[in-house]
Amino acid sequence: MRNRSFPSGAIRATLRAAGFAALILVFVFPLYFMASTSFKGTREVNITPPTLVPSEFHPENYAMAWNRMNFAHYLRNSLLSTFLTIAGQLLTCVPCAYAFAKKQFRFKKPLYMLLLFDLIVPAQAIFLPIYILESGFGWINTMRGLVAPFCYSAFTIFSLVQYFKTIPDEILDAARLDKCSEVRMITHIMAPMASPIIITTMIFTFVYKWNDYFWTSILTTNETARTLPLAIQNLMPVDHGAREWQIIMAGNVMALIPMLGAYILANKIIKKGFIYGSGK
Amino acid sequence: MNISRRTGKAAIRSPYTLILPAFALCLIFSVLPASMSIRDSFYNVDYVNEVDEFVGLANYRSIFTDDVFLKVFKNTVIFMFCTVVISVPLAMAVAMFLNKNRFIHNLTQSIIFTPHIVSFVAVATLWMFMMDPRSGVLNYILGLFGLPPLRWLMDSSTSLMSLIIVAAWKTMGFNALIVIAALQKIPAELYESARLDRSSPLGIFFNITLPMISPVFVFLVTTSVISAFSTFDLVKFMTAGGPRNSSNLMVYWIYRTGFLHFQVGKAMAGAVVLMLFLVVVSALNFMLMNKRAHYQ
Repeated sequence: MRNRSFPSGAIRATLRAAGFAALILVFVFPLYFMASTSFKGTREVNITPPTLVPSEFHPENYAMAWNRMNFAHYLRNSLLSTFLTIAGQLLTCVPCAYAFAKKQFRFKKPLYMLLLFDLIVPAQAIFLPIYILESGFGWINTMRGLVAPFCYSAFTIFSLVQYFKTIPDEILDAARLDKCSEVRMITHIMAPMASPIIITTMIFTFVYKWNDYFWTSILTTNETARTLPLAIQNLMPVDHGAREWQIIMAGNVMALIPMLGAYILANKIIKKGFIYGSGK
Repeated sequence: MNISRRTGKAAIRSPYTLILPAFALCLIFSVLPASMSIRDSFYNVDYVNEVDEFVGLANYRSIFTDDVFLKVFKNTVIFMFCTVVISVPLAMAVAMFLNKNRFIHNLTQSIIFTPHIVSFVAVATLWMFMMDPRSGVLNYILGLFGLPPLRWLMDSSTSLMSLIIVAAWKTMGFNALIVIAALQKIPAELYESARLDRSSPLGIFFNITLPMISPVFVFLVTTSVISAFSTFDLVKFMTAGGPRNSSNLMVYWIYRTGFLHFQVGKAMAGAVVLMLFLVVVSALNFMLMNKRAHYQ
């Protein structure tokens, strides 16, 4: 028995190690290569075989990327649009979800169905009309144009409603006896109790908005309101000019840092958030 | 209940105030645009020359006789089929492999999830660099195995495949993580009783694991279908649909037709086809999910 299980155990261990090695290689190597390329010199970027560690370090690539991307301007726009979107969603979705979870009113069901309409309609199928609408409002190239359509999210409302329903009515009735106003009820009772789900949905919004390229590219025609994903475009040559990969990768690394930082700090919460999001 | 009746009018009025902001945004940025898409798909619309005339089904007829649209539709179906057939089973295998609560397992889970939170733009440029036909690292790796170099994004026979690889790389960690979460919800007693019955590992997989995670399977298939039908960033950044539309997908086609060629009616007809397709998929998903909830 022992004789037979020993080699198969060794084979298993080797296979397992090979599995880990393959996975880590496939998923870490490209990101590592991005970082390593960002420090390489112009000539080293294009040599074969590619070098794993830069033979000379060129940190000035970052300064160049920073200037050419106009990084500070785009970073400001990214931060502003992401946080305004989050604030906007909190302001519109939390009260709305509270009403649907805890109040009775006429046409509640059909209104809720209409709100959830957005869960089914893909954004990509309605971007042309949204562009047309925003041109009409004069919102192209403005921050409000980039933020307003995303201040409402059917997904956020739906998740919040599900969670709010689990909060017992007695707590709300007791608060009402104490003459607690509706606004206070939301800010001091519902929101704190639902903080896990609020954090989860806002992480979604953060990742989505921070990385968004599609909408920003549709709703902007110049630099004014553009965000970091669009800034990388400034580093790509027009037509078929030579691509300076080391500068592009430096730009990528800089645009990634806030997101990666958040991921490393809040790894468990972010992963849990995404798993939760799939439970719908 | 008594209390809310006593507070009277204010309480009746307030729910509408609470839902108003979200509702207004929903109407303006979701319901209205969707109706505009549907309406314009039956019209010949030209914003520059202010043309707006009803043409019935002409736009639909024109897209379904347009070789480019048919090719794009076919590409999208291939893209969808590959992401479903390749990345879903792969994600399941990876999930089974990583389904343990040990340091190395957790670390690897975190690592393979990283691409999911990286922007499509960063992913696209990174892979364009690696797929460079002359000095790209992928061709170097192929060479190590004695394989001939590929032209990746530059060749009409490999461009779509290249996009599929990149999309699979980006979503794999997310898919695997969801399967892992489902695997961890399977009660351990089920496995124990199977072991007492001396079921084979394969038997356990088909009789316990697979049925228990089937809802997740449905979820992954639907999300893969939806994301295939809404892929835009990769196409725009990596290939611009080329060479010769070999990697052009639906959303990019709509973008190009409506935005760059100003054929709004035609683009909207394409958008409506896309919308119908996704509504059917989502509805099917919803029904399957509800059915599961019913039986549980």
